[in-house]
Amino acid sequence: MTWSHCPVSAAAAEINGMSSTPVIDVERLNLAYGDFHAVKDLSFQVERGELYALLGTNGAGKTSTLETIEGHRTATSGTVRVFGQSPRDRHAVRPRMGIMLQDSGFSPDLTVKESVRLIGKLTRRTDTVERVLSVVNLTRKAGTKVSQLSGGEKRRLDFATAVYGTPELIFLDEPTTGLDIQSRDDLWDTVGKLREAGSTVVLTTHYLEEAQQHADRIGLMHKGAFYREGTVSELTRTLPAAIRFSLPATAPAPPLQAMRESDGKFLIETFGLQKDLHTLLRWAQDHAVELGELQAGPTRLDDVFRAIGSD
Amino acid sequence: MLSIALSELVQIFRNRLVLVTSLVMPAAVSAFFVYRHEVFAALGSLGYIAAVVMFTVGAFGLYTTTVTTLASRRQNLFLKRLRSTAAGDTGILSGLLLPITVISLVQVAVIMTVLAVATGEPDNILLLAAAVLSMVIMMLGLGLATAGVTNSPEHAQVTTLPISIGTITVASWVGITGTEELALLKRLLPGGSATELVVNAWNGGVPVTDSLILLVPTLGWVIVAVALASRIFRWEPRR
Repeated sequence: MTWSHCPVSAAAAEINGMSSTPVIDVERLNLAYGDFHAVKDLSFQVERGELYALLGTNGAGKTSTLETIEGHRTATSGTVRVFGQSPRDRHAVRPRMGIMLQDSGFSPDLTVKESVRLIGKLTRRTDTVERVLSVVNLTRKAGTKVSQLSGGEKRRLDFATAVYGTPELIFLDEPTTGLDIQSRDDLWDTVGKLREAGSTVVLTTHYLEEAQQHADRIGLMHKGAFYREGTVSELTRTLPAAIRFSLPATAPAPPLQAMRESDGKFLIETFGLQKDLHTLLRWAQDHAVELGELQAGPTRLDDVFRAIGSD
Repeated sequence: MLSIALSELVQIFRNRLVLVTSLVMPAAVSAFFVYRHEVFAALGSLGYIAAVVMFTVGAFGLYTTTVTTLASRRQNLFLKRLRSTAAGDTGILSGLLLPITVISLVQVAVIMTVLAVATGEPDNILLLAAAVLSMVIMMLGLGLATAGVTNSPEHAQVTTLPISIGTITVASWVGITGTEELALLKRLLPGGSATELVVNAWNGGVPVTDSLILLVPTLGWVIVAVALASRIFRWEPRR
């Protein structure tokens, strides 16, 4: 299966000379609903070809931010530019972007094929329904009404309309929610191919391991602002790695700054994982102590996420 | 717009509830009025039958289906989905409402043709057409405004009652009693001047210039409805 940007959008990009400017440019974005300030002075850019993940706690403002970039909402103040233009200018911007909404939004009385044909036509991109359905493994469901699809099939239908015509910019809002493991792998495989073709992807997800695995950069939001922003390694290096193990009651006190978590279980937090792990293993060998349930690993995105609450 | 309209037409014919309320029910009521035209003509006039038939289709077919369709498409986020494409708002609304508008116009045309065949031609067909068009535009405007305060298709069964029952009541009142008394009130009520226009167009006997002025109150309701709709119409469900 080959992916290439539709001629209209690629030509438009060339004419506009946008190849060097960021695909998304958010400058001091503020969003308020009455007295509630959902997004506060948020600024960031997404470069061409990047996969940028917008993550955050519940109510952090990521959906409001995403919907403003998509053009569904108007900013209270600040500027949002997509391909150098206002995202509210649907006629200019939408043919170049595919949007996978968080909720389905398809008519239950239309079939899968009719839904893709309708939305595909309205995107003004060039593609064929058959090709897109085969990409998301829905060919056999082409004649099935949307109301008869499972939750996972609806998500795949949603993904199909987002990637119709290989848009330059793709928004994926909780793309793998409700998908089985095979469908998830297929979806990320397709996203990989789209990125190879040059597509830029903006992702929101609650599956942090997916963001950790696929995102080039992550914006971690909390209470309407960025708590952290950067690459996965930039985010995780701010927190220590963890070594966990258990010791028999008769063992001597462990080395380093080991903290007792519970009876017989210990935790070492370290910014020098390899060195401290080596020290621990050598100590265990020297004292003929068996380290039970030994676990050692670098800081994960989950740990950064959990740190939000403790700050 | 046409691709949205085509998909909407498919949905109307696949949804039995919409099919019955927007097509079968108004047609059945209108058929009864035409079948018993002698009784109703004695009560009012042939123009009165034409007006009631027009508002039955307009209120129960066009207006109610407009509100139900928009509330339903908003509730299942279909409107948001359409707005995620390159289609403009006007194109989306036009596409969604074009099929039911055309169906209603065809229904009114067919029923009035049958009435004309059964009872004789109307006095002024162009004036009658103007009355039908003004009614259609008014009902679409009122439908858009009502959709703004309607959360779901089920809720539409309640929110559409005042205007659908109201316009038919006004049409019956004006059609039966005329406008010799309480003329200003009757003409200012939604459907009042349109009814008088239909009665004049069908029965004759009133100068065309006098009748054309009756378009003004109806278009006034269109302006009010569109102004209301632009303030209260929502594209997404309340959160």
